[in-house]
Amino acid sequence: MTRHLHTPPPAAARIRGDGSDPVRPAAISARGWGWQHAGREQPALLGLDLDIAAGERVLLVGPSGAGKSTLLHALAGVLQDDEDNASSGELLIDGQPADAAASRTGLMQQDPETQVVQARVGDDVAFGAENLCVQASAIWPRVAESLGAVGLDLPLDHPTSALSGGQKQRLALAGILAMRPGLVLLDEPTANLDPDGVVEVRDAIVDSLAHSGATMVIVEHRLAAWADAVDRVIVLEPGAGVACQGTPAELFAPGPIRNRLIDAGVWVPGHTPELVPRRNAGPRAVPLLQARDLSVARTPRVAPALSHADLDVAAGQGLCITGPNGSGKSTLALTLGGLLPERSGTVDAQPELLEPGATSHGTGGRVERPFLWRAGELVTRIGTVFQEPEHQFVTATVRDELAYGLRHARRAGGNERLHGDEEIDRRVDGVLDRLGLRHLEEANPFTLSGGEKRRLSVATVLAARPRLLILDEPTFGQDAITWRELALLLREELDDGVAVIAVTHDTAFAAALDATTYAVDPASRPAAGPSEVPAGGMAPASTAAGTADAGTPTIEPDARARSSFFGRCNPLAKLAAVVLATTPLIASLDVVSSTIVALASVLFLPLAGLNPGRFLLRAWPLLVAGLFAAWGTALVGNDSGAVLLDLGVATISEGSLVSGLATGLRVFAVAVPAVIVLSSTDPTDLANALAQQARLPHRFVLGALAGMRLLGLLAEEWTTLGMARRARGVGAQGSVLQRLRANAGQSLGLMVQAIRRASRLAVTMEAKGFGGRHRTWARQATFARRDAGLLAAGLALGAVATAAAVAAGTWNLVWG
Amino acid sequence: MNTKLTTAPSVRYTWRIVDIVVASVIAVASGVIFWAWNTTHHLLDFLFLAFPPSSALLAGMWLFPAVLGALIIRKPGAALFCEMVAAVVSSLLGSEYGWTVWVSGLVQGLGAELVVALFLYRHWSLPVSLLAGLLTGVFGGVNDAFVFAWFPEYTAAMKLAYVACMAVSGLVIAGLGSWALTRALSRTGALSALASKRAAQERAFG
Repeated sequence: MTRHLHTPPPAAARIRGDGSDPVRPAAISARGWGWQHAGREQPALLGLDLDIAAGERVLLVGPSGAGKSTLLHALAGVLQDDEDNASSGELLIDGQPADAAASRTGLMQQDPETQVVQARVGDDVAFGAENLCVQASAIWPRVAESLGAVGLDLPLDHPTSALSGGQKQRLALAGILAMRPGLVLLDEPTANLDPDGVVEVRDAIVDSLAHSGATMVIVEHRLAAWADAVDRVIVLEPGAGVACQGTPAELFAPGPIRNRLIDAGVWVPGHTPELVPRRNAGPRAVPLLQARDLSVARTPRVAPALSHADLDVAAGQGLCITGPNGSGKSTLALTLGGLLPERSGTVDAQPELLEPGATSHGTGGRVERPFLWRAGELVTRIGTVFQEPEHQFVTATVRDELAYGLRHARRAGGNERLHGDEEIDRRVDGVLDRLGLRHLEEANPFTLSGGEKRRLSVATVLAARPRLLILDEPTFGQDAITWRELALLLREELDDGVAVIAVTHDTAFAAALDATTYAVDPASRPAAGPSEVPAGGMAPASTAAGTADAGTPTIEPDARARSSFFGRCNPLAKLAAVVLATTPLIASLDVVSSTIVALASVLFLPLAGLNPGRFLLRAWPLLVAGLFAAWGTALVGNDSGAVLLDLGVATISEGSLVSGLATGLRVFAVAVPAVIVLSSTDPTDLANALAQQARLPHRFVLGALAGMRLLGLLAEEWTTLGMARRARGVGAQGSVLQRLRANAGQSLGLMVQAIRRASRLAVTMEAKGFGGRHRTWARQATFARRDAGLLAAGLALGAVATAAAVAAGTWNLVWG
Repeated sequence: MNTKLTTAPSVRYTWRIVDIVVASVIAVASGVIFWAWNTTHHLLDFLFLAFPPSSALLAGMWLFPAVLGALIIRKPGAALFCEMVAAVVSSLLGSEYGWTVWVSGLVQGLGAELVVALFLYRHWSLPVSLLAGLLTGVFGGVNDAFVFAWFPEYTAAMKLAYVACMAVSGLVIAGLGSWALTRALSRTGALSALASKRAAQERAFG
């Protein structure tokens, strides 16, 4: 078998097209093609023979592990040319090897967050065309046309972080269309979307491709939405290449092929998995949880996501929370689960939830707030299953994962363990067998397949035997096999008297749980801000500008700062001016130069669109740093003059106090100009200037920029991880060592998510042609007269500060 | 399938897009972790107030991206790049060191970079990681105490104490911490697209 060698794309030094070149649909042919990922025992695909005609619309289906995504990635030219991967046979696009034809293809993946590369809508659509070296003047017409084709009517500088999941996917599609690809590849483009989002994105895809005529290959699990939109369905089987193919009508009609697809977990149109009858249906007359006039919010500072909710949950009851995206369903679920504090109103755990059997013993009457329970108490009463299973994995093996909640379960009010080791082993064995995970007991939870992860995350919560189970979109993206297993598992829990609350769009799933429905009324949302959460649910909420919490770090300037004088200046000129102004302060420790620069900077506040209040909000850490530096020096500096404070080991005297103040003022004055200027600096503008004017390698500059865009998302993911881990029994209280361990685990969890997202983002960028030696820039970095003026002002300020210090006789070189 | 061939140096030393984006996100995520820890680390403030140079004991958090980036990406310049991105992120968030944080990032990144370059970007064992953490701490400490001279009134001994504290912090938090985190990440399969994907199977003192 020949080793696949990476062929570098031809250097595209040539500026392409004037924008009028029509789309040429691409044809695909595979002959004996195979691919083996590094470190896998089996090839992902082997001996694939396939022909797809130009302009054809093809749906790829098959069980997980059949190599569908691998094929799409290969066609997109983004399979990693890693040392240990190996390919065989040939895979051609219009007669060229696929990885040499990358500029002919566009790829869309399922996670909306990593389909967006840039911070503004216009830049994001232009990104792929820039990489293909399309002339700058031809790019903007393409951007407008592509946004029109996907029906996104938004200003070009609209922040991409404020889009819903469905809008992000349509934006990604627009970016692909702007590249004028002959082949559009779609890897489960609607798997992470709610039903409305699915239709929205499906229609955009179908309409725009009908217009462009490009060939389309799509991988999807839920076929109902796509059956009418494709010409041919190709079924792949693990290790067997193409198992069968035909029109949707032929394959989905009752018969052996349909049955085989059903057995493989494919969501064939019109099929709902069969369930065994329940043995003990219906809620008992035993209340577990009661909410009255409840308002919920993710953080203390934002407007409530939902208000005036009244809810009652009884043992054995199924309850589905439904409603449009952004209506606060997930926030409500987190609050009911004791993971978020109530904004107002009450969530009361009833006596039966505090102590099983309490109601029948007649000892009732006592109620408690779940939010106040320790993590170890919470897990034995309310179990919350997050949408992303990986958020809740806290150990290194499947077995430990199942035992964790049991080991950490505590009796109310005490530190006594609830279960002995033998009992824990017995229970874990039982769960392993029940879920068919026995052969994986020593595996790392993160390495399981998607369906296995989902089952494990439900099982870990169930293992602690909570009386109330809360799940957020448990069936999202699951194949029909996992769906059925989940439904059966939860039906058994219901039969045993456990109550189940599910946030879900899945009506079939609600029916399987015999659930009553609590419809969240969008009208009950008091402040109508921008849509709160894309199809994310308990996954991190979008960084929508209107909902971003003041406590979340952000590197994007707000609208006022961006339109300010500094906001319109060249970032490099701003930085150079700051360096010129503050260099004297770095060289000298003296009060005069520091005071001059600090005061002058404060006078510049309006130019950055800042008022004193907003400045203090940004600058208070600098004040703290300055005070700390002052304290340090005052404490240890050379004493002279009267002793003001005697601490035994050190003293503060008049002399050391003065030098302390000078030190603190210097630290403050060096930082302030940079803070003012950077608060008005858009990272995108900075990157453009660094790559175009400072001539830094654009691959690194734009790669770094794309990574930084994930900052807000990761900060929210940190908060989500904290809640998800509390729901597993990881406490945020305890000794310093316990806290450190909990923090270390949470840091690992964040890094895993960060690297997974980064890897997907890299695929997106590569599929958009990023990484070549040359590219064009739709937005030119400019150096205007005001930038020259800014430089001169910086230089003058530095000179004045120096001269004043020398004249006053305070100039005092720190290296002297 | 085919037998494994020795890797051409060009592949080994060339940055792919995934290397660049992951490196940058490592720096960003480190920033988020530091931001989150900020609220808890004030527990240690009393210690620093009594002996101010000891504040450098926490500086290892800032040195963390350099070593972690090198261990995960395993390409020339990874330590430098990660530390630079971390510095840019912190300056955009509003760093207390102004623009000088960019220079600090460069200097600290160089410390770790020198060590892994000395081992020809081939050895990623625990001792290499500790050494990289140590040197990045020494570089950072010298930069703070002597180049930018943030504490002109400290005695020479106190400045050296500051450098020593930062070195210890680099050794423990950046050196040991990054090494342990890389192995834990490798076990989760998150590194599967990267040169460090088998880090967990490598010998600690290989």
